[in-house]
Amino acid sequence: MSTIVALSTPRGRGALAVIRLSGPTAIEIAAQMSGLRDLEPRKAKLAKLNRERQVIDEVILTCFVAPNSMTGEDVVEISCHGSPAVVRQIIDRTLDLGAVLAGPGEFTLRALSNGKINLAQAEAIRDLISAQTDAAVKQATRQINGELSQALDPFKEKLVEVIVLLESALEFVEDDLPAPRVNAIEQMLGSVTAGVEKLSASYSSGRLLQDGVRVTISGRPNVGKSSLFNVLVAHERAIVTEIPGTTRDTLSEAIDLGGIPVILTDTAGVRETSDDIETLGIERTHRALSDADLVLVVLDGGDEVGPADRDLLSHTAESRRLIVMNKCDLPTFRGADSCLGVGQTINVSARTGEGLDGLRQAILESLNSAGIDDQGLLITNVRHYDLLCRTKQEVELALAAFHDRHSEEVVLVPLHNALKYLGQITGETTTEDILSEIFATFCIGK
Amino acid sequence: MSFDETFDVIVIGAGHAGCEAASAAARLGAETGLITLNLDLVGQMSCNPAIGGIAKGHLVREIDALGGIMGRVIDRTGIQFRLLNRSRGPAVQSPRAQADRMRYRAEMRRTLEATSNLHLRQGKVVDFVIHHGQLAGVNLEDGRCFGAKAVVVATGTFLNGLIHTGRRTYRGGRAGEPAAVELAEALKNLGFPVGRLKTGTPPRLDGRTIDWSAFEPQPGDKTPVPFSFSTDEIEQEQIKCYIGYTTGQVHDSIRQNIAESPLYSGKIQGVGPRYCPSIEDKVVKFSDKSRHQLFLEPEGHDTNEVYLNGFSTSLPAELQQDLVRMIPGLEEARVIRPGYAIEYDFVDPRELGPDLQTSRIAGLFHAGQINGTTGYEEAACQGLVAGINAALFTQKREPLRLRREESYIGVLIEDLIKQGVDEPYRIFTSRAEYRLALRYDNADERLGQYGREVGLVGDSDWERFNTRQARLAKLRTALDNTRLRRSDAQHAAVSALLEADLGDVISLAQLAKRPKVNSELIMSLLPSELKPIAEADLNSVLADSLYAGYLDSQKATIARLYQHDTLKIPRDTPFGSISGLSNEIVERLDRARPQTFGEARRLPGLTPGALSTLLVFLSAQQKSA
Repeated sequence: MSTIVALSTPRGRGALAVIRLSGPTAIEIAAQMSGLRDLEPRKAKLAKLNRERQVIDEVILTCFVAPNSMTGEDVVEISCHGSPAVVRQIIDRTLDLGAVLAGPGEFTLRALSNGKINLAQAEAIRDLISAQTDAAVKQATRQINGELSQALDPFKEKLVEVIVLLESALEFVEDDLPAPRVNAIEQMLGSVTAGVEKLSASYSSGRLLQDGVRVTISGRPNVGKSSLFNVLVAHERAIVTEIPGTTRDTLSEAIDLGGIPVILTDTAGVRETSDDIETLGIERTHRALSDADLVLVVLDGGDEVGPADRDLLSHTAESRRLIVMNKCDLPTFRGADSCLGVGQTINVSARTGEGLDGLRQAILESLNSAGIDDQGLLITNVRHYDLLCRTKQEVELALAAFHDRHSEEVVLVPLHNALKYLGQITGETTTEDILSEIFATFCIGK
Repeated sequence: MSFDETFDVIVIGAGHAGCEAASAAARLGAETGLITLNLDLVGQMSCNPAIGGIAKGHLVREIDALGGIMGRVIDRTGIQFRLLNRSRGPAVQSPRAQADRMRYRAEMRRTLEATSNLHLRQGKVVDFVIHHGQLAGVNLEDGRCFGAKAVVVATGTFLNGLIHTGRRTYRGGRAGEPAAVELAEALKNLGFPVGRLKTGTPPRLDGRTIDWSAFEPQPGDKTPVPFSFSTDEIEQEQIKCYIGYTTGQVHDSIRQNIAESPLYSGKIQGVGPRYCPSIEDKVVKFSDKSRHQLFLEPEGHDTNEVYLNGFSTSLPAELQQDLVRMIPGLEEARVIRPGYAIEYDFVDPRELGPDLQTSRIAGLFHAGQINGTTGYEEAACQGLVAGINAALFTQKREPLRLRREESYIGVLIEDLIKQGVDEPYRIFTSRAEYRLALRYDNADERLGQYGREVGLVGDSDWERFNTRQARLAKLRTALDNTRLRRSDAQHAAVSALLEADLGDVISLAQLAKRPKVNSELIMSLLPSELKPIAEADLNSVLADSLYAGYLDSQKATIARLYQHDTLKIPRDTPFGSISGLSNEIVERLDRARPQTFGEARRLPGLTPGALSTLLVFLSAQQKSA
């Protein structure tokens, strides 16, 4: 097994950078670079790193001895000054001393293969690294801490309990075992389907935290959509990195709105161009509207509500939407026309920035009421979602078979499948585990 | 080299593994020497006098389908037959029989002596003869030296056996018999990793001193289901077993004397089987149970000896006598042989390939308890596979390998060679992912062909096999083609019976899948010109259709499992540089140099995690190529 090295903090200039070494020669490499042979586990130590008798940097070395480290191997963390040149020199030096550059996710992979973390945690680490906003980070952190596994454990335990009851009834027919109670088994399986369903339902929110909430600004020409778009993008913190799955061919910008990643799309500029492009633009607008998690319908508060406005209002009546009355700074601003019958509206001025905080608040409230918030554990990974759905399906099959009084070996087929699916999130339950549980539960042995 | 005698195959040990191994090798044409410490104890049942049980009965059926002998011998000497799990589905039903211990031994010896090419020899093997790095034969304690091209080691608990009763310990392979100490040393010297396991046995009682009226009789089945597909009828006179219980007084007394048990005094180091606990273990670990079930099993027609099943113990002999007398109905009982615990050596089965040949020494095979298993049936099936493959090895033929989706034997061998053991390994149906397909009644369909191809299934058995297949095919067609129509009187009668609407027309095959439909009903609806129909045939066909939906999805799973098998592994693949593979796995891959992913998948010791890492690596290589 090789010793791997990588920069663990983001690339670029910063006050500090952390370089991590992991593998059998990690401590030896650190010793050779620093001249320190007496590194104590888990004690930070000030050191000068040398290359050809020249000091590269003054750093803090912290070593972790296997198996008590993040990867389960010997690990050394080098906190150096955050200059790209320094980082490059230190990494070059470790390469000279036999380390190899880590492949993507290799630290996590090693932690996974050394049993330091389970698959769900590994995936959560990946999510954390690519997480865009505080709320997404919070979700990823929760999963690293095993919260997803913890949330699933009770269901897994119940499944195992039922499997143990049914397997022992089959396997140890000559032993003096108590007969499994039908009601208890149905109840346990019922609680598993309910719980798994609840968790998998959180994916609709979790997905948004991971991929971004799509908020689309729509309105007839000249109501100030683009101004609103621009002012919102300027007002909120822009997310610079690409969010996977979004295209930037339309006017889209990713922003961090109170911790929730939002992909803001402007459907502006459709009417002003030629006919062909107009058709294309309308199509695009319709697609953006139907894809949107939230539509901002912008009306000109200084103008009459015209037929185009009414069309749009009826078109979006079924969508989650906010009605935004722009141009509230104008003296001619009339506010919401009560005869519109669209309920509450939000007054803003894209030009002066007036009312933007209120809009932001309204957007967040609207998302929260849709269940999109950072409270509670959410499923953010499509693989997890898929596995939870399958789990639920299998348990339902088992319940039906059990209800129809099928023999245990038949009921057990979907139960084992369900356990396998859950195990793909939290780690496998082996036949050996089940047998151990049987022998711990019942006195077996003719 | 000069040998006193030369064989193709030598089998060490004539227990359940050794007997099958020697019989199979000899019948495949290999001159076979079967060497045992005591020729009078060939096929001895060291522990309970019974064959079969859930999953174990499946193994015996599979042995029989492949052409092994255990099923035939127990059919001729069984004194109580029961098909277990009758109330459950056909996949988890399994035959079990009490054996007449002495008659089983005699019948086994008779069977072996009637086998040409098979030579029984009494003696104690103390070492292997290795000539120019090749296995050449074995040395005996009395100075004889036998030559062989292949050797099957089937030494059971004799390998460095150490017997415990109370605080006393002595060397032995079974009570009153010597241990194979030198051979254990020889295996260690060859570099085999050796571990220690433990098992135990209960006291045997004098049947004349038992108050039988205090126990609940347990009769066998009225119509015994035999183990062998070749057996038409069970001829032994059938007996009853009896069920009784321990009492709180027994438990208290065991607890007071627990320090006398070598299990609890720390004298025993070996790991025992959790599913076959001693009475000490039962009392200590399940202290809330007010009683534990016991079975009184008569050992045969020609003896008064009774086996006290459920009371395995290594407590001091005199204490065993006292404890037995606290059991209601055993107040006057006398112990004939005390129970004891025995520790013995086993060799890490991850040393073996799927043919049960060691990867360390070509031509050396291990079978039975030496591989960490427990149970006569587990031993016998390994003996059969090792014996077949030892003969095939000497004949330079392709080995027989059984897959886990087609047999319990395949499950057992793959579990052993891939995962190793840390307690005595017993087969369970839950170990088989595809258990719905692995029924006791279709073992012939699953494995008969292999037995025939290898050469163990003789002409008359093969003819019977084909006749049965033809009958089953005819029956399947009949079930599909016999339809009930709304206009038929039977349609109305069946609808009324099931309280269900059957539609305008329904085939018997469809009807059979409905709840509350049993084989008697189907039998009554089948056309009379097909009759008589054997109940076993109908049950087999109905079982196929009962599980059909599940079996289809299992087939798809199996196909998915093997979809990467043809993926090529380039000759120069640097296994050591694949991150995520442990040194141990890299070593195994380097040693075996598999050419396809399928070959790698079958290698012993390769964990699912390692396989998926390898698969990811190979797929990535292929993409970049």
